[in-house]
Amino acid sequence: MPASPPPPPPRLARLLLEWVLPGDARSEALLGDLHEEFVQRAARRPVRARVRYTADALDICFRHLLARRRAAHPVSRHHGSDVMDTLTRNLRYAARRLARSPFFTLVAVTSLALGIGANTAIFSLFNAVVLRDLPLEEPDRLVNLYYADLGFSHGTYSYPDFVDIRAATTDVFEAMGGMQLAITQSVAGSSVEMLTTEAVTGEYFGMLGVGAALGRLFTPDDDVAPGAHPVVILSHGYFQRRFGGDPDVLGADMRLAGRTFTVVGVVEPRFSGSLRGLSPDIYVPMSMFEVVQPGADIFDERGNHSFFPMARLRDGVELPAVEAALGRIRDDLAARHPEDWRSTADLVVVPTDDVIMNPMVDRVLLPAFVLVMGVVGLVLLIACANLASFLLTRAADRRKEIAVRLALGARRRTLVGQLLTETLLIAMVGGAAGVTLAAWSVGLLLRADLPLPLPITVDASLDGRVLGFSFVVSVLAGILFGLLPALQGTRSELASTLRDETAGSGRGGAARLRDLMVVVQVAVSVVLLVGSGLFLRSLDASRRIDPGFGSAPAAVVEVMLPSALPDPERLALFDRVTDRIAAMPSVRSVGATTNIHLDPLNTSQARIRVDGVEPPAGEDFHTIDAARVDPGFFDAAALRIVAGRALEAADGDDPVVVVNEALARRFFDGNALGRSLDVNGLEVRIVGVAATARIRQLGEEPRPFVYRNLRAAAPTYVTVLARVEAGAAGATAQAVLDEIRAVDADVLVYRSETMERHLAVMLLPRELGALVISGFAVLALLLAGIGLYGVVSYAVARRAREVGIRLSLGAESGRVVRMLTAGGMKLVAVGGVAGLGLSALLGQLLGRLLYGVDALDPVTFTVVPLTLGLVALAAAWVPARRASRVDPVVALRAE
Amino acid sequence: MARSTHLGDLEELTLLAALRLGPDAHGGAVRDELKREAGRSVSVSTVYVTLMRLEEKGYVRSELGRPEAVRGGKARRLFAVSPEGVAALEAQRDVRAHLWEGVDLEGDARA
Repeated sequence: MPASPPPPPPRLARLLLEWVLPGDARSEALLGDLHEEFVQRAARRPVRARVRYTADALDICFRHLLARRRAAHPVSRHHGSDVMDTLTRNLRYAARRLARSPFFTLVAVTSLALGIGANTAIFSLFNAVVLRDLPLEEPDRLVNLYYADLGFSHGTYSYPDFVDIRAATTDVFEAMGGMQLAITQSVAGSSVEMLTTEAVTGEYFGMLGVGAALGRLFTPDDDVAPGAHPVVILSHGYFQRRFGGDPDVLGADMRLAGRTFTVVGVVEPRFSGSLRGLSPDIYVPMSMFEVVQPGADIFDERGNHSFFPMARLRDGVELPAVEAALGRIRDDLAARHPEDWRSTADLVVVPTDDVIMNPMVDRVLLPAFVLVMGVVGLVLLIACANLASFLLTRAADRRKEIAVRLALGARRRTLVGQLLTETLLIAMVGGAAGVTLAAWSVGLLLRADLPLPLPITVDASLDGRVLGFSFVVSVLAGILFGLLPALQGTRSELASTLRDETAGSGRGGAARLRDLMVVVQVAVSVVLLVGSGLFLRSLDASRRIDPGFGSAPAAVVEVMLPSALPDPERLALFDRVTDRIAAMPSVRSVGATTNIHLDPLNTSQARIRVDGVEPPAGEDFHTIDAARVDPGFFDAAALRIVAGRALEAADGDDPVVVVNEALARRFFDGNALGRSLDVNGLEVRIVGVAATARIRQLGEEPRPFVYRNLRAAAPTYVTVLARVEAGAAGATAQAVLDEIRAVDADVLVYRSETMERHLAVMLLPRELGALVISGFAVLALLLAGIGLYGVVSYAVARRAREVGIRLSLGAESGRVVRMLTAGGMKLVAVGGVAGLGLSALLGQLLGRLLYGVDALDPVTFTVVPLTLGLVALAAAWVPARRASRVDPVVALRAE
Repeated sequence: MARSTHLGDLEELTLLAALRLGPDAHGGAVRDELKREAGRSVSVSTVYVTLMRLEEKGYVRSELGRPEAVRGGKARRLFAVSPEGVAALEAQRDVRAHLWEGVDLEGDARA
């Protein structure tokens, strides 16, 4: 028999047990017994074993909670056991009743499971991203430091600024450190991986209070001279994934970016980097940054802002003192480096606890979460309205029974208790199913292969907080929407109920309440459907945007050439790489750019001066987006030349450029050919004008752009485009990797993908948004349909006698169907109009998130009511038609 | 006197099962034994509640075993019937035997 490890018991059930039980020796033994039994059972019937384990766990938790309750009220022991007896009795009674009407139970539980599931899923993401604290020591003494300037209030430092500021703040900071992100190529035998890397200063781990799981962490001694400390620390996740948790990895060698590093430690499991959502695989000393990420001159360039600084305050130091100190340093730096420190630049400090990712990102992130939480809240509201509506039906059905029991002296409290227990039972079961659903769907989302620009990791596992949230939501839902029907159903209008309710098409309070529920459901569905419609239309509009380049199938390969090579040799290497790719059979043309359009992680700008065009106030140049490209770029990127010519091989390293139409219009009134301009202090001649491509975002206004001559300086970081035959892009992107490695193993390949996928990154937020809101809208429509179906069914049942009489007197069944359907549709009309009005108001709030579609989009506002009307018609017609088919004799005898 | 030593039905069966199992009497084993030998299907939690109650009454004592991998790294709690427990079982058996003495099944059945 294969010695596969036994499967673990159901996680949720075990978590529940560990949460409820006190965790003493007795509980341990009990958990052990359950586990042992589960392992035995699972060997034969795995599914049954899971069900059994879960059932046992629920049973144990229930008993335990009861016992605890009893222990908490020892004085009235008798009374206490009374409460328990009542509860047990009520639960049994409720379970029996629910089992007797399986359809109702199924619909109610499913509705709630969907509603609670949606809320739990979103909350678990919210919890993972926003609520979970970073595992840092005394976090209230930690601060994040930012550099602020025009356009960004919380930017990163440059490394030289960091070094100066660290030296000048020892009076307020006990320690100041930080990190810079890098992607490192790791080669082991024939396998090559790109590893997310934090290059950290020597103080980093000590300052944060993070410990080692194995070996040691860096100290300031590991971070002294650039390039002199080839040591690496593994994250716990990477240690497990890549080395199977083998402690012998300490002292082993890793080949990183062409250099041999020694593994000196593994970080403790709970720490996964100081930037949420980005879990590094490895940590290297900051002094090794230029080794793992060649081509960046970060140690000297004050203009290169990409370092994330943090600091630990000295005991008793408050923020104002820090701000004062930073203010002094700012003035000093600005005086010493006027070329890099503009008068608007400032240093900002924010307590680490107050930051989620970055204050600028947080300002977008939180409203986005609030919006989605609002949407799922509405879905739950609909589900609850369904539940309430069904319960009202049942309460009405039981009026006679309840009236008799009240007459016989039953207390109303007892009856309400019984009815509420039933609701709570449904809510609990629905909640448990919802949590399972949420865990499954979030897992699916996080595992999906999204075209993300960065390897984002979110640990959205269910913890106590998520389970607690779901539990509270379930209980609230159960009470809120169970209480009203229970109170309504047990109102003591004994006499009238007992005397006669049978004849009635009389509409009591319960019926009115049910009608209101339908109206609310329909209105909420309309709001969600309109939101979904607007997002879909906006996505459609975004998809229609012509990015202006990339329409031909191509492979996009981002490479880094070894910066240690002298310029002529690096240029020769670049030529060998591109020649080799051009020689591949599927490749039609090859081009290269230092700044590919629509890359959210990279922008590069140039300072230009044009005679006769005044620079913005306070500047003596215009800052515009720029790239250096080779002659093949325009064809490979399918970027149209509208006037003049593209760059040519014959240009050599001549100072010639191509500009886009937006630049030609803005600076040369459209006549740019043959004109000159100054780019970064170099006089260049315009030989061609290209169509205006989208540079940073799909929906942007046309941005001026200058394509400079790549060969004027040897490139280090460059994106190679290989235009291919239709359908060959994916295979080529794969094959290019091998070709490049065959040329030189020291060329780092950061990514290799299809042009299609490169462009998809820009659509991802809209696609995800549209997907999520549409999913919920369909859910809402479905739930509202079920609710309406219930209402009409009930109305039909109550009017069975009347229908019977009408039919027996010769009424046409079609007329009866229409009459019954019309009753339901009236509610839909009221809810629909209310919903459309509400949508028109809420749409104004969405305006900023939409592209190319008006918040009052006529298509959406036509299609949504039509769809809703059709669904509603079906939901009302089915039960109405059934009623009209009933044999009049049976209908009349029914009561 | 009779009240203090009285054993519930399940308590009696649980004690007997524990006695039969000897040194291996833990929750899961007791449950299996009840199922196999007495045809009684009870949940783990019921067995536990019963054993806890018996321990409170002083009829069983328990000690902690060693953690085991097959138990998810949890220790095993082993139960042993105390002399008081044995006495209670004997008392119960005596009561039953005494009652049985006056029973004539065949006569009753014919009547």
